Amino acid sequence: MGGTSDIKLIVDGKRLDGRTVDELRKIKIQAGVVPAANGSAYIEWGGNKIICGVHGPRECIPKHGANPHRAVIKCRYSMSPFASLEEHGRSGPSRRSIELSKVIREVFENVVITEEFPGTQIDVFIDVLQAEGGTRTASITVAAVALANAGIPMKDLVAAVSGGKGADEIILDLGKLEDNFGQSDMPLAFSAKDKKLLLVQMDGLLTKEEIIKIIEMCEKGGEKIAELQKNALKDVYEKGREEFKL
Amino acid sequence: MGEEIDVAMKEVRKQVMEKILANGKRMDGRDTSSFREIKIQKGAISTAEGSAMAQIGETKVLAAVKFDVMTPFPDRPTDGVFITNAEHLPLASPLFEPGPPREDSIEMARTVDRAIRSAEIIDLNSFFIEEEKVLGLFVDLYVLNHAGNYTDASTLAATAALMDTKMPKIENAAIVRGEYSGPLPLKDLPVSVTFGQVGNKWIVDPILDEEKVLDTRITIATTEKHVCAIQKAEGWLTKNELLDHIDVAFKNGSELRKLLQS
Amino acid sequence: MERKLVLPGDKIADGNQRIPYAYFENGAMYATLIGFIDEGGRYMPIEKPYKPIRDDIIVGVVTDARHAGYSVDLGHSSGGFISSRFVRTKLQLGDIIIAKIRSVSETGGIMDLGDVKRLPQGKIVRFPTSKIPRLIGKKSSMLELIKKYGKGDIVVGNNGYVWISDRSDIPKIMKAMNIIDEKAHTSGLTDTITQFFEKGE
Repeated sequence: MGGTSDIKLIVDGKRLDGRTVDELRKIKIQAGVVPAANGSAYIEWGGNKIICGVHGPRECIPKHGANPHRAVIKCRYSMSPFASLEEHGRSGPSRRSIELSKVIREVFENVVITEEFPGTQIDVFIDVLQAEGGTRTASITVAAVALANAGIPMKDLVAAVSGGKGADEIILDLGKLEDNFGQSDMPLAFSAKDKKLLLVQMDGLLTKEEIIKIIEMCEKGGEKIAELQKNALKDVYEKGREEFKL
Repeated sequence: MGEEIDVAMKEVRKQVMEKILANGKRMDGRDTSSFREIKIQKGAISTAEGSAMAQIGETKVLAAVKFDVMTPFPDRPTDGVFITNAEHLPLASPLFEPGPPREDSIEMARTVDRAIRSAEIIDLNSFFIEEEKVLGLFVDLYVLNHAGNYTDASTLAATAALMDTKMPKIENAAIVRGEYSGPLPLKDLPVSVTFGQVGNKWIVDPILDEEKVLDTRITIATTEKHVCAIQKAEGWLTKNELLDHIDVAFKNGSELRKLLQS
Repeated sequence: MERKLVLPGDKIADGNQRIPYAYFENGAMYATLIGFIDEGGRYMPIEKPYKPIRDDIIVGVVTDARHAGYSVDLGHSSGGFISSRFVRTKLQLGDIIIAKIRSVSETGGIMDLGDVKRLPQGKIVRFPTSKIPRLIGKKSSMLELIKKYGKGDIVVGNNGYVWISDRSDIPKIMKAMNIIDEKAHTSGLTDTITQFFEKGE
């Protein structure tokens, strides 16, 4: 989070990639791409390419980690070493990956009906193949589709998108440069039906009024994203197996 | 649907598989020397300098190539460095557990590495930048769905990714990310063919169900005119069987090479 | 009323009703799984994990044999257990059995099995539990079709394990099952499968 650069994030109402302040990047979602998993989905969101596979409910390993009243959700968010344009990354989870794995798991603990499968674990594996800002909101969005594809009962779908501030304006869905050089980034996740906030994080400096604007903008963006999620799930039944291309 | 259960007794499943093979056809209708349908998609990942996804049947492997500036090995001060890594992503199969790489994924990485390195398809000398600075080429193999024979899919993906690779622009002994100076020159295209034995029958390109009951497994990598790597996993075979397989490996190899070039 | 696809969080009925895999909130019932509302207004989930209940018929594989009894793999996070008291023939590792669930523990632990019969040698294949009714068909019509053309015996367990006799045309039967899996939500499935067997495609 900087703000100290010569980059002009908004010129004449247009952002660096030509979007208006409340426009989403291009999003494409495909469900059922990993037949070996119980459920899966793949998302392209701007320059992000993220794949998610769900296994379970299955036996809890280690056994002592099991909860006799409900399923335990385990989430692993992982960035591939080739996901960024910069150097080849190191293998193994970074501290950032560990934090994201936790907050993403905590999103789904709210909607997955874990009481249905006591003593088991549900694994959500998220792998970022290509990153371009907003990987956590794209990850939550694709994981929700994978969980539904896996037939794991959920109260609702979850759509996630970030809002923030760049060049003194409130903007929706921050891209990589806006993330790096903007003034604030606020990723949010909503339950589709009643817009409960299931992920809330932010950095930078925002007034309460700015936060209200961001939430409203993200709610609207979230509605569009939820439509895409639903279409991806419906396509599995209405269009049958489609070829998987990255 | 259709995946066989992880039964404790391999023998029982093997007997059933042998009965199926005795009729000449495999569970998915193939004959013993055919590959499943193969699809190759190059250039999937734009953050990498080269990439490709190879699909053999439902098995999917993504290979990505990235360059970094590195110090050379002390005994080869003018040669670039070539490193292959593999990840058996836990999403790709209930058989893959999260955690550090296990022997299967390490073997897969080293086999593919050996094929490419032996084939000498890359002129590592051309990666020299200046004293103590050379280009390192990283190939990452990501198994995205495991339906059997990720080894051949990995070799295919790796070679296709190298074909897709652009050399990065170097300025002041550093890489200018996002700018490129031309394709990576390749001298040949290594491919691999994996053979498995169930009872007394040999099959090419085993699917997961077949892999679980193999007595012997062996991978043979070839360039246009040479064998460049062999890796025998479990089991044993006779010299004549090996020589027969080499013939089949060359034959299937040229088909695979055609697919890479199409 | 036309058939409609519903997703988790979609409203499926008013008021508080007892609908499996639906929950009550704010005066209405909402779906928790992808499914269809059929012409009669009933909510039918398409994919749902198997929930073992008493008296279910299951197919399983013996994975451990001890003095007290046998452990059985049922493809579920809960394993099965056959107490030695409830089976007369001696079972071995790798044996495929058909049995009935005598009881399910509350915390999702082991299931006690009884009425155990050993099945002859064959292949076990996994089939999505929510689609098993289509694999069996009305009055077992689909199953009989498969047995006839597949030239062999098949046993379907509620737990999603299907045993196929190794005397049958296993590749053909598996292909038919694949078609049923992919087209489970469509109509005219019996015709589709008959056509597949007769034309071999």
